Parts: sequence; C-alpha cells; structure tokens
Amino acid sequence: MKTKITNGILMGLIINMVYPKAIGVTQGLMAREAMNDIWVAMVFSTIKGSVIMLLTVLIICRMPDKNLAEYASVLFGKWVGKFISLLQILFFLGAYATVMITFVYHMLDYFLPEMPVLLLIVVALIVGVYGVFHGLEVLGRTALVGVFAIISLNVLILIGSLHLMDVRELMPFLNTGVINTFIASRHNDTDWAVATMMTGMILPMVREKTIWSRAGVGGVMFSAIMVGMWPLLEVGVLSPEVTGHYTVSCMQLARSAEIGMFIHRYEMIMVAFFAITSLVQTMICILCTSQAASQLFGLKDIRPMIIPSALVLSAFGYWIVLDKVRAVELLEHVWPVWALSIAISLPVILYIVGLFIKPRPTPSDRETA
Amino acid sequence: MKNLEALLQSEFTIDYEDNVALMEEVLGKSCDIVKREVIIHEKVDIPCCFFFTDGLADDKQIDKAIRDLQYHVTHLDGTVLGSYDLIRNVQTHLLSDASISQVDCCEAAVEAILSGDTVIIADGFEKVLILSSRGWKTRSVEEPMTESVIRGPREGFTESIRTNTALVRRRIRDPLLHFRAMKIGKRSKTDVNVAFIDGIVKPGLVDEVFQRLERIKIDAILDSGYIEELIEDVPLSPFVTIQSTERPDKVAAALLEGRAAIFVDNSPFVLIVPTYFWQYIQASDDYYSRYWVGTFFRMIRYIAFLLSLTAPSVYVMLLSFHQEMVPTPLALTIASGREVVPFPVLMEALIMEITFELMREAGLRMPRPIGSAMSIVGSLVIGQAAVQAGLVSPFMVIVISITAISSFAIPNYAASFSIRMLRFPLMIASGTLGLLGFAAVFMLLVIHAMSVRSFGEPYFSPATPFRPSDQKDMVFRMPWWMMDKRPHMAKGDMYRQTENQRPGPDHDQGGHESDE
Repeated sequence: MKTKITNGILMGLIINMVYPKAIGVTQGLMAREAMNDIWVAMVFSTIKGSVIMLLTVLIICRMPDKNLAEYASVLFGKWVGKFISLLQILFFLGAYATVMITFVYHMLDYFLPEMPVLLLIVVALIVGVYGVFHGLEVLGRTALVGVFAIISLNVLILIGSLHLMDVRELMPFLNTGVINTFIASRHNDTDWAVATMMTGMILPMVREKTIWSRAGVGGVMFSAIMVGMWPLLEVGVLSPEVTGHYTVSCMQLARSAEIGMFIHRYEMIMVAFFAITSLVQTMICILCTSQAASQLFGLKDIRPMIIPSALVLSAFGYWIVLDKVRAVELLEHVWPVWALSIAISLPVILYIVGLFIKPRPTPSDRETA
Repeated sequence: MKNLEALLQSEFTIDYEDNVALMEEVLGKSCDIVKREVIIHEKVDIPCCFFFTDGLADDKQIDKAIRDLQYHVTHLDGTVLGSYDLIRNVQTHLLSDASISQVDCCEAAVEAILSGDTVIIADGFEKVLILSSRGWKTRSVEEPMTESVIRGPREGFTESIRTNTALVRRRIRDPLLHFRAMKIGKRSKTDVNVAFIDGIVKPGLVDEVFQRLERIKIDAILDSGYIEELIEDVPLSPFVTIQSTERPDKVAAALLEGRAAIFVDNSPFVLIVPTYFWQYIQASDDYYSRYWVGTFFRMIRYIAFLLSLTAPSVYVMLLSFHQEMVPTPLALTIASGREVVPFPVLMEALIMEITFELMREAGLRMPRPIGSAMSIVGSLVIGQAAVQAGLVSPFMVIVISITAISSFAIPNYAASFSIRMLRFPLMIASGTLGLLGFAAVFMLLVIHAMSVRSFGEPYFSPATPFRPSDQKDMVFRMPWWMMDKRPHMAKGDMYRQTENQRPGPDHDQGGHESDE
C-alpha cells in the first residue's frame, strides 16, 4: 500500500518548510533592501506563493497519481521527465544549503561558537536520514509536532517582545517604494518556492483530492500567519537597520526579548523549538531529493537513494556553510535566481503546455480503466 | 517423551482397568494427584475411580459427588439399563448440580485434572466424566498496589482469571461484552481471555489480537508480561505500547472506548490494546473527580512528564555549555555550590541518577522494615553527606530530587520507567554536544515516537495525527456532559450519552426558583 497523508499533514509540512528560514534569514535579507517594509514584501510574496501553489495543485489534479516529473514524462516523454527530476535535485541541493545555513548559523553564532561545522552537518545528516527512512507519514506527524513548536515559539516571542515594540519604526509605509519592495520580496519567494516544489512531489500521496487546492493554499496562508508577526516585531523592536545587519535576525529578536528577570534570554528556548522545524526541513529536503533521484535512475523504491542523496546534499551544504561570505553570496544573489527560475518556470510551463497537450493514457492507465 | 505424547493422544476404551492404568501412566506418581476408587450401585457394583489434584480441586464438591453417587445411584435401575445408560443417567440426574461433561481423549482428561477438575472413570463406559471442581486458595480482591486513587473504586485484579473477568462483568452488564478464551503455553496451558464489546470495538482488532496470540509458541506463560512482550508492535522500542493495569474500572473504561483487554490467568495485570502514549499520563481519578480538578492534576502530570524527561539534561546542558543563559544571580549561586565538586556536571548528574536508581531498586527488593531504614540512610548519604563531602552540589541534589518526584507522579510504572531510561541518552548528548546534542537526540526520539503504532493505531494520536474530536480527553478532561461521543477509534455505537446533558435549572420553566 502506498503511503498516504492527510491534507492537515500537508499543511503542517508546508508550514515547516517555510518557517525556519523565513522568520530570520529571509527577513534580514529583505530588510537590507526594503527596510521597514519587509512585512509588505512578505504580503506580496505570500500572494505570489499562493498563485504558484494553486498552479502546482491544478497541474497535479490533471493526473492525481503523478507528481510533476511523472506528469512531464507523460506529456513530453521519459527523458524530459528525467530532466525535470534532475532540476528537482538541483533545486533541493540549493534548498538544503539554505536550510544548513539557517540551522548551522543559529547554533554557531549564538550557542556553540567552537563547535566544528562538520559536526553540525553530520548531526543534521544523521537525524535527516533516520527520519526519511521512516517515510513520509512519520515525517508528516513529526511536522505536526513542529507546528506545535512554532505556535509555542510565536506565543513566547510575542509575550517577551511586544512591550518593546515601537510602531513608529514601521513608518513611513512603503518607504523604499512599491517596486523596490516588490523586488525585495523575491527572497521570501524562495521560501514559498521550497514549499511549492515539495508539494509538487508529495501531493499524489495526499488523501482527499477534492480539497487539495484548499489545503495547498491554506498551508501557504497559515504559514504566512505564523511568519507574519516576525517582520513586524523585528522592525518594531530591533529597527530595520539592525534587522538587516544580521544573518539570523530572529535570534537577535529572541536575545532582546524577556519575561521578568528570570527569563531574560530567549535564544535557547527559541532554538529548542526551532530545531524541530529546522530538522523537519532537513528531512523533507532529503526525502524530495531521494525521490527525484529514484525517478532519475528509474527506481521504484526511494530507499537506495536516501543515503547517497543525503551525502551529496550534506557535502554541498558543508561547502557552503564553511565560508560565511560564500553562504551570504548564495543567499543574496545566487539562490533567488536558482530557486525561482526552477520553481516558477516549471509549474507555469507544465500548466500552459498541459492546456494544449492532452496526455495519452499509459498502459497502466488503460489497465485501470 | 514421544511415548507420553502417544499416550495423551490415545482414547479411552470400555475397559475400566485399562482406562485407570492409562491415567496412572500419564500422571505418573506425582504426590499431589489423588486417586480415589469407589463402588457404586449395590446391585450392579460398578467400580469408579476419581482423579483430581490436591489443592486445586474443591474437596467439598468431590465429597458431595461421591455421596450423590453412592447413596442415590441405587434409585436407577442398573440391571435393566446396563452400565452405559446408567452412567449417562448419573450425569443427567445425579450430578446435575455441578457442571459436568464427557470426554473420550486422554489429553483432555489430564488437562482437566491439572486445571482443578475431577475425572471420573466408570466401568463399562468408554468415556470419562469431568466434574467441574476447581477450587483453590486465591488472594482476595484488594486495593491495587501500583495504581491507588483518592476517589474511585478500591478493587484490584487478583491472580484468578475468573475473578478478574467477573470484576469487569460487574461493571458492564451488557450481553455484547464478550470474553473469548484460549490457552497458551505448551506446558503451562495458561488460560487467556480476550474481552471486547461487540458493536463498539474497532473492526478487525479482535482478529488481530487473536492472530498475535495464536502466533505465540512457548512452553509457559507465567505472567501477562510474557504476552505483552510477545505481541507488541515495536519490540525494540523503549516505549510501552501495551497498557497493563490492575484496575477493573480502567479495563471497563477501555472496553467502552472500543478497545480490547487481554486477561491472563495467574496475573493481576490485564493488558489493554491499542494504547496511546497519553493514556499513561491519565489516572482513573481524573474521571471521578470534578472535571477541573481532573484537568488540573492531569496538567501537573504533563509537567511532571516533561521534567522527568528533560530536567537533568537541561541542567547539564546549561551548566556545561550555555552558562550565559542562566540569570546571573542564579548562576553565581550554582557556581558557589559547585566550587568544591571535582566532577564535570555530566559525571555528577550520572552519579546521582545511578545512585538514585540504585536506592529505588534496593528499596523495592528489600523487606519492608529494612526498606524504611534504607531510605533514611540513602537520603542522608545523598542529601547531606555527599554534599558536605563535596562530591555533588546542592543544586544537583535538588534537580535529581525533582526529577525523581516527577517520575513517580506518572501513574503507570512501566511508562514512568521507560521515560526514566530515556533520560540517560538525552543527558549524555546534552553533556557532550550541548544544545546540538539535546536537540538531535530529542528529535530522534520524536521521530521514533511518531513511527510507533499500537495495534495499528498511531501511538501519539490524537495529538499527531491530530484528531480534533478526541481533544476533549487529552490535555484537558472536559466535563462528562460534553463528552458525548466515544473516541475516534471506537466504531459502531459512537455515542455514549445523549446530547445536552449539561445540568442546571430547567430554563423552560423560568430558570431557578426565587426565594418567594
């Protein structure tokens, strides 16, 4: 029996895929360009993310038992399908690097400055591989634990930093102009891109087809609600300049938050909760890469590809994280082009081509009929 | 051995001497097997032989049966009927007050004797009679030792399976409550009963339980713990996926929620399947006290669970790697206490934890009078002497004590023990890799926990997968009048009560009465 997950779990996975990077690293990147309007940039980005998510769901709805690469192979043939799988591997290679940047710099910059980077990468690799071997259903349930951690973290940060917030920091509205803010939102687009690419791969494993679009777009909206308070608080508490100054600006917010005298440092509570979502992200990246790799090599089972995929992802992640300049360069310049060119063009092309080319039924479809 | 098996398979003949010889050969010369020969019917002179096990059979019942046979059998006309019909008449007319049956196979007769029944061999009859005469000394129903409550029934299961099933039957007088029997153990032939309520139990669960039980091939079952270990879903997991309880009310409640219970003879612990993790944090009192009291104490237990699992690890992690996270005045107090301690925090915590486990184990095994002395010595050694000698810091003593108290607040001993075991890897990871180690091991535990199932049900349900309707009885214990529906797992008759049972003044009649 093929693994099936519920629509609720899909939403949980989307939230976990977006949250860790979007609350800190992305806000820092956007603050350097859009200043106090990072929350507006996030709104723009959420709208774009919802559209791409809807498009992805609509494509899969045409052939509900096939993911994007399989659908492409039905439309254009086997080799195009394999090419799409290769693109997906490349996409998740970059995504994993950004996940590692988020995870490693949280730990390294704020808690364990003397810890070897390799150890952090290896720990993420071990946890990731262990999780992926348990399958999507277990990952989905773990993602629900991640959602609980996210809610707890948000509530704690809200309690600890709301009294420090200065609304005047959010003014003037659209300070850097609409177009600049829109352009700055591309950093947040990359977060949605990871969520939509994941959905394009796992949606056939989600149970109720009739509410796929609601679950997909709902997942984006819920993620936006979870992430939404962070740009407001970061600008309101830290100021846009300080937010833009840090790679992991959310930790700076957590550092300034306090409840009374005895809970004066939030970083550890924050990372304790944050680690769950971050490691879920790690696992999903490995899972999606393994699935794409198994499609590329024509394997029916993803398990033989889990360890090789995880090793490749970790090696690349290690290389990126080892040099902070390289990591920031990837985040600021390379990753938006890399991620968005794949995550936007792929669904758009497949959707448009699918309007004109009606896939011929495969022998298995005929058998089913 | 082969010879014995052949003998067991053999059938009784019409020859009385052969049948008695067969039984004697199979039963050997065991001193607890009693053979008693009598002659019945003065006109026909039918020799009869009684076989029973001393201590297992009720002497009074046997005496009564012998008296019935000797004094009343002459009323039957043996000369006319012949001994075959005479014995049949004996069964139907003279021994009708007791449960009696006929068997023709030696194995069944031997099994009956070793179970406490009495076998009657009569001349001229090719079958033997089995008289139900089970009656051995059993412990009376007492308050459960491991699951005591403030409010609620004080009855606990005993070692007698029939007493245990009766305790549940008394609580659910529903004809749909079924007990299905089987025997497990090649030598022990232990009676096992599976209880469920037809029309509520999860479909397929009973078949699954029987399938797993029938798979057991073992010489003896001495306690339900054997069965638990042989039928669980994840044998290598530290999590306990089958709930065991001494409380009949807990079993009755589980049956009413669509689960099944496994009763094992000679064990006061009944197994309940499937089991969710959260059930270990719920106590029977939660349902007998007012709902807000139940909810409050349940929350205390959740806190106890978290403390029990993570308190020493967090302390070790903070003091070894992240001292800046501790508020300065507190950090200074801890530092002054640790000034003379020669060990690293991890080592200190491990020494304390192991010492505590040692004391707990010793206190459990020792005779009770010595146990109290042991606890005094232990608390002095750990609480005072160790601190004064500079081996451990006072703060560590406090942390370990709070952890120990928290672990005892978890109502299920097996679950509490598994949580205590999980503390060690967490503590070692925290002490060696700091926050990274804690996060990684915690995550590995979470992933493993998410993968665990108990008889097909996700172990962490209804939290994940999230089931909104079942949240009324997870962290909170909602009032009874709000819990109309049975949990998601039950099937068929989903409602346990009619809706709108919230008590209060009758609003249709104008609310509460005025003083006038």
